[in-house]
Amino acid sequence: MENIVRRQQVLLEHLRPLERSSTSLVASPCVAGDSAAYERATDYNDDVVIVAAYRTPICKSKRGGFKDTYADDLLAPVLKAVVERTGLDPAEVGDIVVGTVLAPGSQRANECRMAAFYAGFPESVPVRTVNRQCSSGLQAVADVVAAIKAGYYDIGIGAGLESMTANPMAWEGSVNPKVETLQKVQDCLLPMGVTSENVAERYNVTRRAQDEAAVTSHARAAAATAQGKFKDEIIPVETKLVDPKSGEEKPVVISVDDGIRPGTTLASLSKLKPVFKKNGSTTAGNSSQVSDGAGAVLLMKRGVALKKNLPILGVFRSFAAVGVDPAVMGIGPAVAIPAAVKAAGLEISDIDLFEINEAFASQYTYCLQKLGLDPEKVNVNGGAIALGHPLGATGARATATLLHEMKRRGKDCRFGVVSMCIGTGMGAAAVYERGSIVDPLSNVRPIQNNNFLSHDAK
Amino acid sequence: MNFLKTPGFGGTSVQFSPFFETRLAVSACQNYGIVGNGRQYVIELTPNGISEVCYYETNSILLDCSWCECNENLLLSADGDGSLKLWDTACLPAANPIASLVEHMSDACCVDWNLQRKNCFLSSSWDTTIKLWTLDRSTSFRTFAEHTHCVYGVSWNPLHPDVLASASGDCTLRCWDVRSPASILVIGAHDSEILSCDWNKYNEFLLATGSVDSSIRLWDVRNHMIPLAVLDGHTLAVRRVKFSPYHENVIGSCSYDMTVRLWNTVIPQNALLATYDHHTEFAAGFDMSLHEDYLLASVGYDDCIFVWPHTSDPRM
Repeated sequence: MENIVRRQQVLLEHLRPLERSSTSLVASPCVAGDSAAYERATDYNDDVVIVAAYRTPICKSKRGGFKDTYADDLLAPVLKAVVERTGLDPAEVGDIVVGTVLAPGSQRANECRMAAFYAGFPESVPVRTVNRQCSSGLQAVADVVAAIKAGYYDIGIGAGLESMTANPMAWEGSVNPKVETLQKVQDCLLPMGVTSENVAERYNVTRRAQDEAAVTSHARAAAATAQGKFKDEIIPVETKLVDPKSGEEKPVVISVDDGIRPGTTLASLSKLKPVFKKNGSTTAGNSSQVSDGAGAVLLMKRGVALKKNLPILGVFRSFAAVGVDPAVMGIGPAVAIPAAVKAAGLEISDIDLFEINEAFASQYTYCLQKLGLDPEKVNVNGGAIALGHPLGATGARATATLLHEMKRRGKDCRFGVVSMCIGTGMGAAAVYERGSIVDPLSNVRPIQNNNFLSHDAK
Repeated sequence: MNFLKTPGFGGTSVQFSPFFETRLAVSACQNYGIVGNGRQYVIELTPNGISEVCYYETNSILLDCSWCECNENLLLSADGDGSLKLWDTACLPAANPIASLVEHMSDACCVDWNLQRKNCFLSSSWDTTIKLWTLDRSTSFRTFAEHTHCVYGVSWNPLHPDVLASASGDCTLRCWDVRSPASILVIGAHDSEILSCDWNKYNEFLLATGSVDSSIRLWDVRNHMIPLAVLDGHTLAVRRVKFSPYHENVIGSCSYDMTVRLWNTVIPQNALLATYDHHTEFAAGFDMSLHEDYLLASVGYDDCIFVWPHTSDPRM
C-alpha cells in the first residue's frame, strides 16, 4: 500500500505542469499579445465570435419615436437584421436569448417568441428571456457564449429589449415588513437616484464633475450622430406615431436616437434642481434617460463563421458579474471590470476602448477615477445620459456601439470592454477582442467567375 | 512489422545487447508501474519481425535493465522492491534470477554497467542513494549518499572508468569519482526534477540531462555555470536522454508527451532532427543500436516495443 502511494506521488511529480516563461503554450488566449512586437495567432476555431451586432434607435419613452410601438415590434427588426444582413438561414440559430427587465416575466417571454415569428424565424428556433436588471442585454450575450462553449448549439442570438413606455419602473404588491431587520435588504429597495446620491456623497463626486460628464456625453453623441457613425449599427424601425389630441395614426420610419441634446452646456445643466435629495447633486440632466429600444448580437463558433464566409466583428473573451453594496450600486463597474479583464488574462492598460453605462454621472465619474481610465477611451460616442438607457437593451446596445467603433479604429484598438452597474448592487463586464479579419464585405472567398479585372488573369 | 506487443506489461526501458546485434532487453511493469508485477523480456530481431526469446517474472515492477559488458548472457534489472535482479539467459528460466541484490530501501530505478571496468555496475534508487557493485560480491562496494531526493538516473563516463554522473529529483546533477570520498561536482541543472543523464561517447566533458521541465540541457563539466545548450520541444517531462554511439552531436530522447525525438546539437536553436509519435502512452524507454547506425528502439506504457531505422515510420 505504501509502495502504491509513493509510486503515484513520483509519477504525479513527473507530470507536474510547469510554470514556464516562454513556450508555444499560452495560459490565456489574450495573454501578452497586445504588447507583443509581432502579430499573435491564437485564433482558435472554437472561439465564440460576434458576426453581427445591431440596435434600434434609442428613443425617449412616452414622448419619443417609440411611444406608440409595441415591444415585439422593437425586437423583431433587430432579430431580422442579424440574420438577413449576414445571409444566415434563420433555422440554423440554436437559441435566441433576450435580456429584458421591467415587463412581467411570462408576458415578455411571450412577446419575444412572437417577435421571433415576426422576424421570420421558423417555429423550431427557441426563445427565452433573462433578467439581471440593467446588465440583462450583456448577460444574454454571455449566456449564448456559454451555451455555445458548452456545445449546446453553434449559432445563437443574444438580444436586449426594453419599452419603458409600456412598462414603467414600479413595485407590485406590498413590501415584506421583515426588510427592516437587515440593512442590505432595505438598501435593495432604494430608488436608483438615491443610490447615486450615496455614491456622490461617499466618494466626493461634485455636482460640477457630474454635469461635465453629462455635457461630454451629449457632445460626443451629437458628434457621432452628425458624422453618421451610428448608421452602421442602427436598424431603422418602421412604426407609427399617434397624435395624442386627434388620435390620428401616422406611419413613420425611426432611424436616429432622439434623446441627444447637442446644445447642452454646463450653464444649462447647472440650473436643474436635484431630484432625489435636498442639496443633492443628481439631476435629470446628469442621469441616464428613460428610453425604449432593442439590440441583437449574432454569435457563433469561429469555425462556423469561417465556413460560412461571414465577417468576424469581434471575439467574446470574458465575462464577470460581481456584487457590491446595494446602497452604492453604481460602483459595480469599478469591481466588475478588473474581474473580467483579469479573467481574459489582461491588464486594464491593455484595454483600448470602454463602453461603461452612464446610469448616473456620479457613478460613471467615480468608476473612471477609481480605475484610472483615460476619459478619451471611454464612451467615445456618448453614453446613456445622451442616448438613453433602455434597461434590458443597454448591454446589447453598448456591444454594438463598441464593436463598430473598434472596427472603425482598426488594429490599434484590439481589446474593448462593456460594463454597467446593476440595481440592488452588482456590476457586470465583458471583454471583447477586435476580430482579426474584419472585412466589411466578407472574408476572402474564391472567385467563382473570372471577371478579367487583371490582364494577367487568363 | 517491427513492433511487438507485450499485453498487460508496459515497457520501462530497452537496451540493445552489446554482443548480439539482433538482441534487446526490455524491462516492463503492470499498471503504469504503480502496482502489479514486472517482467524482464529478452527479444530478438528476425527478418519476420520482432520475436520474444524469453521473459522472467518478478513480484514487483521493473524500472530499468542493463546488459552485462563482460558476459553476453548476463542481464541486470532494477526492481521496484529495491532489489537488483541478475539474469542468465543461458540458464533455464527456473534457475533465474541467479542473484538478487537487496540493499536499496526503496524502488531501484536505474542500472548502468561500466564500459571499461567490465565487472562493475551502478544502481540508483528512490531511497536517494547510488550504489556501486561488482559481479563477484553479493554486497555493494560503495554507497554514494548525497542527493536529497530520488536518484532517477546514473551514468558511467564511457572514457573514464572511475567517473560517473547522477540525476536526481532534488534538481541537481552530481558528478562523482570512485576514488574520491564525496561528489566532485554539483550542478543545479534544472529548476525541476531531473529524470535522466548521459555522457557523450566522444567528448569526455559533455553531459546531457532531461528534466520534468520538458527541456534537455547540455553541460560542459569544465564550465558548468550555464548550459551549453537547451533543447526545447518536448511538451512534458523528458524521461530519458541518450547520446548516439555513432555521432558526437546526436541525442535521442523519450518523454511523457509520448514522443521520441532525435536532436542534433550543433545548432541548438534548430536542433530537432525528428519526432516519432508512434506511442499512444508515455514513452519510457529508448536506445540506439551499437551495431547499426541510426537503428532505434523504444518502449512505452502502451505495451508496445518498437525497433526502426530512423528514416522510416516506426509503425510501418
